[in-house]
Parts: sequence; structure tokens; C-alpha cells
Amino acid sequence: MSEEIRIGVFVCHCGINIANVVNVPEVVSYALTLPHVKVAQDSTFTCSAPGQNAIKEAIIDNNLNRVVIAACSPQMHEITFQNTLRDAGLNPHLLEIANIREHVSWVHQKEPEKATEKAKILVQMAVAKTKHLTPIEDQFADVTNKVLIVGGGIAGLRASLDLARVGFHVDLVEKKPVLGGHSARIGKLAHNPRTAKEITQELINEVLKLPNIDVFTNSELTNVNGAFGDYEVTIETKPTYVSDSCGNPEEGERVCPVEIEDEYNYGLTTRKAFFKPYPDAIPLQFLIDMEKCTLCGDCVQACDSGSVDLHEKPTITEREYGTIIVSTGYSPYTPKTGEYGFGEDRNVITLIQLERILADEKLYDEYFTNTIRNIVFIGCVGSMQDPMIDGNNTYCSRMCCSSSFKNMIELKERIPSSNIYFLYRDIRTYARRDERLYEQVSELGVILVKYKQDLRPLVHSNGNLKVQIFDSIIQKEILIPSDIIVLANGMEGPKDFQNIREILKLSCSDGNFVKEAHAKLRPVEVPTPGIYVAGAAQAPKDIIETVTSASAAASKSMIPLIKGKVPLQALQSKVDEEICGGCRICISTCPYNAISRVTLEDKREVARVDSRLCQACGACAAACPSGAMQQIGFTDNLLKEMIAVMEVPI
Amino acid sequence: MSDDDNGKLKFEPKILMFACNWCSYSGLDLAGTSRIEYPSNAIVLRTMCSSRVDPTFVMKAFQDGIDGVIISMCHPGDCHYIDGNYKTMRRFMMFEKMMDDLGIDKRRLKVVPISASEAKVAQKVIIDMVENIKSLGSIRESAIATRTKYYDQVIQLEVSGGKKNE
Repeated sequence: MSEEIRIGVFVCHCGINIANVVNVPEVVSYALTLPHVKVAQDSTFTCSAPGQNAIKEAIIDNNLNRVVIAACSPQMHEITFQNTLRDAGLNPHLLEIANIREHVSWVHQKEPEKATEKAKILVQMAVAKTKHLTPIEDQFADVTNKVLIVGGGIAGLRASLDLARVGFHVDLVEKKPVLGGHSARIGKLAHNPRTAKEITQELINEVLKLPNIDVFTNSELTNVNGAFGDYEVTIETKPTYVSDSCGNPEEGERVCPVEIEDEYNYGLTTRKAFFKPYPDAIPLQFLIDMEKCTLCGDCVQACDSGSVDLHEKPTITEREYGTIIVSTGYSPYTPKTGEYGFGEDRNVITLIQLERILADEKLYDEYFTNTIRNIVFIGCVGSMQDPMIDGNNTYCSRMCCSSSFKNMIELKERIPSSNIYFLYRDIRTYARRDERLYEQVSELGVILVKYKQDLRPLVHSNGNLKVQIFDSIIQKEILIPSDIIVLANGMEGPKDFQNIREILKLSCSDGNFVKEAHAKLRPVEVPTPGIYVAGAAQAPKDIIETVTSASAAASKSMIPLIKGKVPLQALQSKVDEEICGGCRICISTCPYNAISRVTLEDKREVARVDSRLCQACGACAAACPSGAMQQIGFTDNLLKEMIAVMEVPI
Repeated sequence: MSDDDNGKLKFEPKILMFACNWCSYSGLDLAGTSRIEYPSNAIVLRTMCSSRVDPTFVMKAFQDGIDGVIISMCHPGDCHYIDGNYKTMRRFMMFEKMMDDLGIDKRRLKVVPISASEAKVAQKVIIDMVENIKSLGSIRESAIATRTKYYDQVIQLEVSGGKKNE
């Protein structure tokens, strides 16, 4: 690069924000003494139109090829000033900002002299940095016109429909053999004449009808390569082991000796390893749970010959997607054995189990009879925990109060003679219209008793089920004989989620939920570009919030597909292939698998960075022992020179 | 540098503070917008991720006479680049062990998580560092003292004259 370096320094007063503390004219005259600086000016508001015009004029008049702006934080106006440079015909990456407002004038208000000295040092470092900057051309990658949705619950279904109706191709991958998640097994909803089951089934039927949605049930992601715009995904579909043509699969189920907890009924009943999920499941088919199967072969004997193959192989599908939506849902909190008598008495059930019981007549008859007198709900089980006492779920699960109330109303309708108690820590019927549920419950005569975290209800489960609670109004212990105890269990991040989490490199927040990039600015995106989160995978949500966020994620995930191109990171790492010795240290350092080893024509093996994948963290550059790997805009020489000029006495 | 009561120059340490673009730099910006004041000794150098900070940069800073170095980063689990902060922690755990051998007091380096909302933490980190370095004295003087001690006690070389060879 033989071109002479001509730097312009522009120092901002920011009205009085900077100028009241920092001696701006002194900084300007100091800047003029620095090497390569041809112009130094001050401006009342550099970011204003006149301020930006002054920069443009100075660039053109003085033929400047580097710009230093001493003003507010680069996080405030870096993009503004990059556009100013672009307008003046200069590459936007030939700019450096010295932050003399947030890092100087606003934090050293009582020491104007020291503040001015520090401002000079920052300008000097910025000038040193710009010398090493090089123009960077904008790079783009093409976007594959398909979306992958992981998780076929109500969130995944909603997002699939939204995307498919616009005309995009969607692949919906569900781990379970059935679609619909929890909501397909739940009955009545609050403020809604239709059941959750009906609503979910309507969505499922529509999803199955649309030609541009491919549904993969009983399937999991096993690998994800590539990057935003072009994710290369491997989907493994587990076999059912039972052929559709089998004439008597019921016989296979009957002879199966393995009896396990039925997760579709939340452990209320048992099922065989050779089984059919709940009666109105979609798709409804017989299959074998290979994790539990003992390979005894009894079903192979019992069924039509050739219709059961215990050694059927999984199907592997490899496809490419522009964007990915994670809608893996939640797991209901499972109380520990003995927590409020759970697991010790069959009449201690969880809220989600109650939802299932109310949705299924057979189960209802097993648990509820007209002789039921007292039903006790206990709130905040597995939510609002104290890490020092019971667990790490410190958050409110949000839906349990309203859901408990909804079920209390239904139980009162079905068994009018029953007494219902709600032992609560806090009542949070926050959602729209849910305060009405609270009023209704009070009108129906539900007895509300508040408990404190350190004075929890005590469940006596030996023989006669009783709940002991300190009523803070009468300041006395009361003992409630109970027929059914419902533990209003909260939500946790999905169980056995580790695999997806690692493959998609998701970070998690409290309770193992997927963490978004920014709760307010990027609420349905995760930090990795091109990946979105929908529904209760992100945080405890009710169905309304779940479908809202699913539609939001669907719209967000469409944007890159509509644009057709995604911008690549500018400040990427690059390898000097002359120097690189092919030691591979950078390969293991890269969090995005962006670096691979290639063989050159002269047979030397060197590292190469895939610009589609590199996210510009610079970890490889710091790890490189030879200095072959350099991060553009943050090269070794650049940073070392900035450090060197930090010490120059003034 | 300013004069103290005895007319001697008061020692003002120079501190280099690396800050990652996403958490720590934002935390320092928040200190600014919230007018949370701290000593002007710390000069912030922004990198995209703390994992860009090569231990040789820290060596270079000490060689150049920077009295203390702070490396600030996201909290564990919060890294914008998945696990860059873990790499930084690992690298500088090793580097701290080397500092002993190099005769540099470990307190001259601080590796610390500062989130975008922790302006107060940033302030405390800088105040503590300045206090620490003030008690340790300038790195040049420590280097001279270490070397003199080495000559004096280990190889028992006679050190004479007060002339500086610039």
C-alpha cells in the first residue's frame, strides 16, 4: 500500500456534554501534532447534518483517506459516521471512534485536566489504529428458500402455517411420534368455547394438508453444518418397527411384556413398549419404543408375519435451510418424591396431570367421583424457588395461577358439592381477562389461603391425606382433610434438550430455557444469526403468548428469505497462507467450526476461514502461535501500536 | 502527574483495560450515561471479544510501562461468541502462573466479568485496581527493584553509581 496516509480528526463538543469537561480546542491542536494527521476540526454536534457535512467536505477538500471521530460511544453513532464516510466516497471501515463522552467527560466531570489528557490519549490511540485499517468490501451470502422448525407443538405448528401460507417451504421436525405437544392433550381453555385439543388438531390438520410443509415425526436433528442463509441439516427419522400393513397390531401390544409409565398421560397410567399413543393422536399409528424394548420378539410372533421388524434402520434426510426456528417447548416441573406427598399417595397429582384427567373421561372417572369433598390446590410448586432451600427455578411460571383457577371453575361445575382450597404464595392472574377468573373463583366460594415461603403447607400422606397450613389471617394452623391434592407445577426448559442445544449452539437462561439475543430489541432471535426461538422453549408462556411469539418468529425468519441475501461479518479473521504452518490450534479454538485445513498446490497444509461462518470474535487470532491468523480491524500490529502509544508522555 | 505535599511527583498509575464489545464495553458506556465516576487512569481498548486478547498484548503493555491491565468480559454463559470468555479465563489462568516467574506481581493483572448492566461493578474494578497499583508502585520501579535485588542477593554483583544509561 503505497498510498500516503492522510488522517482527519474531528472532535465533537456534543453541545456541552463533552466541551464542559474536556478542553476541546486543546485536543484539536494536539491532534494536529500527531503523525499523518492533515486536518483536525471541532464541531458542536458532529452527528448533526452540518457536523456530518463538515466531515464530508474535509474528506473531499483534503483528500483524506482515514477518519478519527472523537465523540460519543461507537455503539451510539458508529453506523451513522460509517455512512458519512460512504457518502464522501470513502470505505466505511476506514473510521475509528474515540469515545470521549461515555468514557471521559461523563465519568471524569470533576477532573477536567485529567479528562483532557485522557481524551488526548484516546485520540492518539485512534489515530494509531486508523493507520492500520484497510478498506473492507461488503460481502453477502445467498439464502436458501426454506425454513426448518424444530418442535411440532402448538408453537411449531403456528409458525409452520404462517410461513407456508406466504409460500415458503417448511420442514417441521418433531421428536415424538405425534404432533401437537402438550396442548393436544389438554381440554378446556379459559375464555374459549373450544378445547385446546380441538384448536391444536385444527392446526395439525391444516399443516398436514399444505403441500409445502414436510412433517418429520419421530425424528431428531443429528447434525447442523453451514451458516446463516445455508444451514446444512441432518435429520434422523426413527423407524416405527411396525408396518402399516400389519393387520393385528393390537395383538402385538397385548403380548408385549414391557410395562412403563405413559408420558402421554403424564405418568397417570402405564403403556407397553409396543404401543399406540393416546387415542386421538395425530398421526395415530402403532410403534415400538426402542429405548424400552427388550427385543424379546413376542410381538414379532404375535403379529402378521413380516409386519414387525425389530431391526429396521432409521432414515436419514439431509436438507438445507435459510433459517431455523426452535420451538422445542417446555417440560412440566416434576415434583421430587415426597415433595408435598407427591409419589407417596396416588391422590397427590400435578396440575398438568389434572389437565389431562379433565380432558379424558376414562381418567376422570378413575380419579374423581361424586363423593369427592375436598380438593386442595397448592401453588408455586417448582416455581419461585429459593436456591438455598429447594431449587434453582427462581422465576414465576406465569400460567399456573390462571390455569388452576380455570380448572377450579370446571371442577366446581362438575362436582358442585366439593370444597376447593387454594393455598398460594402469590396470585398472578396477569393475562388479559384472567383477573375475571380470580373473581369467578372467589364468587364460587373457593377458599384462598396465603402461605409464606418459610411456612409452607405440610402434606400428611400416611393413610388419610391431610394438609396442614398456617392461616395468616386467623394466625392459627389449620388442617384440611383432602381427597385430591393438586400441585400447581410450573414450567422448566425442555428435558433431554442437551443434544439440540449443542448442535444449534444455543445459550440457556434460568430453568434451562433458550435465551434470546436481547429481551427487548431482539426478543425472538438467539445470538447465532438465522436462528429464532418460538413459544415456551424461551420462557414460561401460556398458549396465547406461545402462538404470538411463534408468529413473531415466523415473520422474523422470513425476512432473510425475502431479501435473498445475508450480510457477512466485516471484521473477520484471515490467514496469511505464506506464514501458516498448519498447526490446527485455531481450528479447535473456533466456536463456529469456521476454520478448516486445506492443502495448497505446493502440498503445504494451511488453515482457511470460511467467511460464511466466521462471526469475527478473534479468538483464533489470539491463539495463533505464528501470527498467520489475523482479525481484520484488530490485527496484532494494530493493537500493539495502540498499546504502545497509550504510554507516550504528553 | 501532579505534585504532592513534598514537591515529589505523585504516582499516577497507567491502566490498560480491555473490554469486549458486547458486555463490558456497554457496561462502561452505562457508567458514562449514569454518570458513575471513576479515576481517569484506566484507558479502555475495545475488542469484539475478550478472547481476542493475546497474552502477548499484556506482556507488551507491561514492557511498555503500563502499570496494570484489566481484562473485562461477559459473565460465564453470556458470551456473545458462545464461549470466548472461558478461553480468556483459561489463557490468563496460565498467564498468571507465568507472571510469578517473570517477576511481575500478579495483582497487576485482573481478569473480571463485567456485564452490560454492571456499571457499578466496572467502577469498583477500576477504583480497586488503581488503589492496588498505587500500593504496588510503578512497574518501572518494581522492575528496577527486582533487578537490583537479583544483582545484590542472587548473583552478588556489585552495583555502583547512580547514572542511568538511557
